[in-house]
Amino acid sequence: MLAFNLEYYKPKTIEEAVECFFLLKKENKRAIYYSGGTEILTLGRLNLLQMDAVIDIKSISECLEFNFEHNQLIAGAALSLTYIEERNYFPLLSTVAKEVADHTARNKITLGGNVCGQIFYREAVLPFLLCDSNVVIAGEGGKETASIHQIFNGAFQLEEGQFLIQLLTDQEYITMPFASLKKRQQWETGYPLITVSSIKVDNRLRFAFSGLCSFPFRSTEMEDALNQANKSLHIRIQQAIDHIPAQVLDDIEGSREYRLFVLRNTLEEIITELEGEG
Amino acid sequence: MHIIGKGIMRKDSLEKVTGHAKYTADFESKKMLYGRLVTSPHAHANIKQIDTSSAEKINGIRAIITGENLPLTGEEMKDRYPIAKERVRYYGEVVAVVVADTPFQAMQAAEAIKVNYEFLPVVNSPSEALKADAPLLHPDLENYEKINMVYPVPGTNIASKTKIRKGNLEKGWQESEVIVEEAFAFRPSDHAAMETRAVFAQIHPDGMIELTASSQAPFMIKRLIADYFNVELGRIIVNTPLVGGAFGGKASVQLELLAYLATKAVNGRLVKIVNEREEDMVTSPGHIGLEAQVKLGCTKEGILKAAEILFLWDGGAYSDKAIDLSRAGAVDCTGPYHIDNIWCDSLCMYTNHPFPAPFRGFSHSEVHFAFERTMDVLAQKLNMDPLELRARNAILPGHTTPTQVVLNSSTVGNLPECIRKLKMLLNWEEGQVIDVGPNKVRAKGVSCVWKTSTIDPDASSGVILTFNKDGSINLISGVVEIGTATKTVLAQILAEKLKMDINEIHVQMGVNTQSTPEHWKTVASRGTFMAGRAVLTAAEDVIKQLKSLASFLLRASTEDLEVGYGKVYVREEPKQYIPIKEIAYGYSFPEGLSIGGQMIGRGTYILRGMTHLDKETGAGRPGPEWTVGAEGVEIELNTRDYTYRVLKAVAVIDVGKVLNEKTALGQVKGSMSMGLSFAARETFRFDREGRVLNPQLRTYRPLRFGEHPKYEAAFVETPHLDAPYGARGVGEHALIGMPAALGNSLSTALSVKINYLPMIPEVLWKMKERGK
Repeated sequence: MLAFNLEYYKPKTIEEAVECFFLLKKENKRAIYYSGGTEILTLGRLNLLQMDAVIDIKSISECLEFNFEHNQLIAGAALSLTYIEERNYFPLLSTVAKEVADHTARNKITLGGNVCGQIFYREAVLPFLLCDSNVVIAGEGGKETASIHQIFNGAFQLEEGQFLIQLLTDQEYITMPFASLKKRQQWETGYPLITVSSIKVDNRLRFAFSGLCSFPFRSTEMEDALNQANKSLHIRIQQAIDHIPAQVLDDIEGSREYRLFVLRNTLEEIITELEGEG
Repeated sequence: MHIIGKGIMRKDSLEKVTGHAKYTADFESKKMLYGRLVTSPHAHANIKQIDTSSAEKINGIRAIITGENLPLTGEEMKDRYPIAKERVRYYGEVVAVVVADTPFQAMQAAEAIKVNYEFLPVVNSPSEALKADAPLLHPDLENYEKINMVYPVPGTNIASKTKIRKGNLEKGWQESEVIVEEAFAFRPSDHAAMETRAVFAQIHPDGMIELTASSQAPFMIKRLIADYFNVELGRIIVNTPLVGGAFGGKASVQLELLAYLATKAVNGRLVKIVNEREEDMVTSPGHIGLEAQVKLGCTKEGILKAAEILFLWDGGAYSDKAIDLSRAGAVDCTGPYHIDNIWCDSLCMYTNHPFPAPFRGFSHSEVHFAFERTMDVLAQKLNMDPLELRARNAILPGHTTPTQVVLNSSTVGNLPECIRKLKMLLNWEEGQVIDVGPNKVRAKGVSCVWKTSTIDPDASSGVILTFNKDGSINLISGVVEIGTATKTVLAQILAEKLKMDINEIHVQMGVNTQSTPEHWKTVASRGTFMAGRAVLTAAEDVIKQLKSLASFLLRASTEDLEVGYGKVYVREEPKQYIPIKEIAYGYSFPEGLSIGGQMIGRGTYILRGMTHLDKETGAGRPGPEWTVGAEGVEIELNTRDYTYRVLKAVAVIDVGKVLNEKTALGQVKGSMSMGLSFAARETFRFDREGRVLNPQLRTYRPLRFGEHPKYEAAFVETPHLDAPYGARGVGEHALIGMPAALGNSLSTALSVKINYLPMIPEVLWKMKERGK
C-alpha cells in the first residue's frame, strides 16, 4: 500500500504519453512513467518514492517491440524480463536478465524499469553498454535516437518528461562471444556483490560492471588495462582495479576489500574463458 | 498397529493446496477499523515530543494511542511498555498506534505523526552491554515485577543470570590433559514466517473481549491480557485460525496487546492490525543473538572432564522470552555428553537490539553451534576422529545432565545408535576431506544434538471428543495448526486407539479459547506428546462410556467388551455387537424410549515431575525427556574464491516412535533447511547506531527454492515411555545440529576456525586471509 493517492493514465501513443506528462506538470503534479511497477510499489510503500500520477507505457506499441529490423535488434522498454529470457533473441541480455530478482518479480520487471530504476544495480543495461547500442527516447521535442554512451552515465540522463522507448543493438554484436557472471553474498538469491559482463569484439574484450560502484558502468580505461596482451593477467587486473572510476561499494552485501577480491577472481574467470575462445 | 507410523495425508492439506485456507489477515468485515504502527527509526533515544496534530486532521482517524498510562508487560519480568514511554530502546519499537476507517487513512496518519527524539548512546552487542561503563538500559531493573527463576543484576544490563554448577571444576581441570578454548558470536536474526503476524480485536457490548490472532499461544494471550490489564480471564476469548508459519515467533504476545489497546480506544469497535514485513522482522520479536566462550578439558583418550561456558545472550531491549531462552541454553549447555564437572554462566543481556521470541530449537542450535564446534577443535587437538570423540562421551542411561537429572533409556534415547547410522549415511569412512580439484574439496562436518523442552512445570493440554450421529468423532484440541500436522497426528493416535477409520475423525483446525480445551502453547515440540496423551485419555473415556451403554444392550459385562471397527462387540463372540452409531447419540428403543444422549469424551494431561532450577547450581528437572540425534553435512568448497555448496544434509534422530512417516520427514527436512538458512545466510545487519539495515526480504534472504541440498533423514526408535506410542518431540531437533555441522565441515575444509554466523564466503575469506 502507498501512503498517497495517485492518478493513473494509460496513453496509447508516445505523443499522448508526453502530452499527459506536461499537462500534469502544469497542474503541479509530479508524474512518473510506469511499466512493471515493482519499484514504484516497493519504494513507494516506504515513502522513498513519491508521485502524484503514473503514466503507464504498456499500451504504447513501440515499447513492446522485440524483433530484428534493418540488422538491429529492437528491444522495447516495456518488455518484461521473463519475456526477454524466453524469446532469447539476445543471449547475453537473457543471461544477465535471468539473474535479476526472482522469476515472479521478473514477470513484472521490465527492461526499461530495470535500466531506469532507482535501485542502482540496473544490470540489464550492461549488455547494451557493451554493444554500443542506441537508445530511442521520447520527450517534448519528439522522438530521438542517441548512442547509449551519450545518454547513460551511471543512470539514464533523461530530461524532464523524457522516457525510454527502445534500445537498438546491431545484430553483429549479438552473436559475439560473451560471458557474464553475477557473484552474490551467498548462493543464488539476492543483489550482486558484483556482476561483470563481457563480450569479445575484434579480439578485444569489453567489460561492464554492476554492483562494484554505486552505479553500473563500462570503463575504457579498465578495458585498456585488461587487454594488455603482453602483461601477466595479475598485472592487467591490478591496473584495471587502479582505474575503477569511483569508490568501490562497502555495504551490507559485502565489504570493499572483499568486493575487490571477488572482482579479481571474476575477471580472471571471464578472461580465461573468453581469451581461450577463437 | 493399523495407522500409527503411516504417512497419511494431512487433514489440512486440501484446504491449503487449493488456496481456500483462511488465515487471520484474510478475514474482513465492513465494520472493521484498521490499526497502523508508528515505529522508532532509532535504536536508543528519548522521546522529546510526539506531534499528532496533522495526523488528527486526516479523515477517518478514530484514535491515536501513545505510551501514556500503560502497564509494564513481559512474560517473565515486566520491563516493557506495549507502546514506548519516554524512551525507545530498539530500532522498530512502537511509539504510537493509529486507528482509522481504512488501512490507507491509517497509513497516512502514521506518516503524519512527527516524533522528536533525543539520541542516547547505543549498546550494540551483549559484550558491550557487560562493560562497566555501558549505558544502563533499565535503571529500574530492581523494581520490575518478575516470576520464579528470574535473577536480574540491578545496576547492570544483566536481565537475568542462570548458573549451572555441576561437580568440581577444579578437579575437572586437574584431570584434563588436553584443553581447548573457543569464542563464538552471531547477531540476532528473524524467523521470516511466510505469514506476517496479524490480529483483530473487539470488545462486545457485554464486556467480552474477543481477539483473533495469528498465534501459537491463544491461551497465553488470554492469560496475559487478563494479567496486564486487570481483566477477568473468563471475559477474554481468543480465536486462532490456521497459522502460516510460526517457528516460535508467534509464541510471544506482542501485537495482540496493541490490538486490545486499539479496540479499547475506539469503544470496543473491531480493529485489525497486520504487520508489514519490516514490522514483523524488527518490531515484533525475532531470533536471539549470542556471544559464547567454551572451554573444554579431556584426557588423552578424549574423555571429557570439564566444561566451562559463558553465554552472553543478545536479549535485546526487553527481556520477555529472552530470559527463558537464556535458561534453556544453560540447561543443555554441553551438548549430549556425559561430563562430571560443568560450570556455566548464562547471562541474558539487555542491548539496543530488537528483542527475541523463541526460535525453533529454543536456544539449542545457538549453544550447540558453540559447543559442537569446540568439540571439533578438541578432536583436532587430540588427533581423533570427531565422531569417535563424540561417541566416547555420548550421554547414556545412568548419566546425569548439566542440571543433574539422572537419565534412563526412556528419558534420553540412544545416541550411540544415531551416531552409528549417521556414519553410514554420510559414508564417513571415505574420509572427512576429499580433494576433487582443481581448487575444489568436498568436506563433511558433524554435530550431535539433544534437547529437552523447558516448559512451565504446570503446563497442561486438554482434548474433547464429541460424537456425530453417524458414529464419527470430532476431535477438539487447543493445539494450533502451525503447519506441523500435529492435528493430523492426533487423529492418527485416536484412530489407532479406537481402531477406527481416520476418515471418520474430524479435526477442528481452529482454536477458540472459550470452547476449545486449553493446550498451554503450541511450542517446544510438545503438541503430539501432551495433546496426544490427552487424546488417549479422552479415548479411554469414550471407550468406557461406549462399553457401559453397550453392556446391557449386549447383555455382557463391560470387562468382556471391546471397542473397534465402528462397533462395541463381545471379545469372544465378535458377531455379538452394536454399531457405535446406534449408541453414540444415545440409544433409542423401538417404542421411542431413549437413554444416553450425545457421547462426549474428555482427556487432560499435565506434565509430570518438572521442578524449578536451583538458583545457585541449576539443579532441577527442566523437562520430561530428551530427544537426541546425530547430524552431518557434506559441502563442496572452492578454495580459491571461498564459495561453497551444501551437497547433502543428514539427520538421524531418535524419535522414540515415528507416528506419521511423511510428516516426521517433513519436520526433519524442514528444520534442517531452516538450520542451514540460519547458519549460512540469515542475520540482521546493524549499523553503529544499532539500526537494522536489512529488515526486508530483498536484503534478508532465507534459503530459497533451488538452493536446497539433498536432505536425508533416518530415525532411531527408543520409546519415551510417557509419550503416546513412545514418540519423542521431533519438530525442532534436526535444526539444532546444522550450524555446527556446517561450521565443522567448512573449518575442516579450510583448516581455519569458522566461529561466526552466518557462514558466507566473505566470512570464510576473512578468517582464512587473516591467518595468512
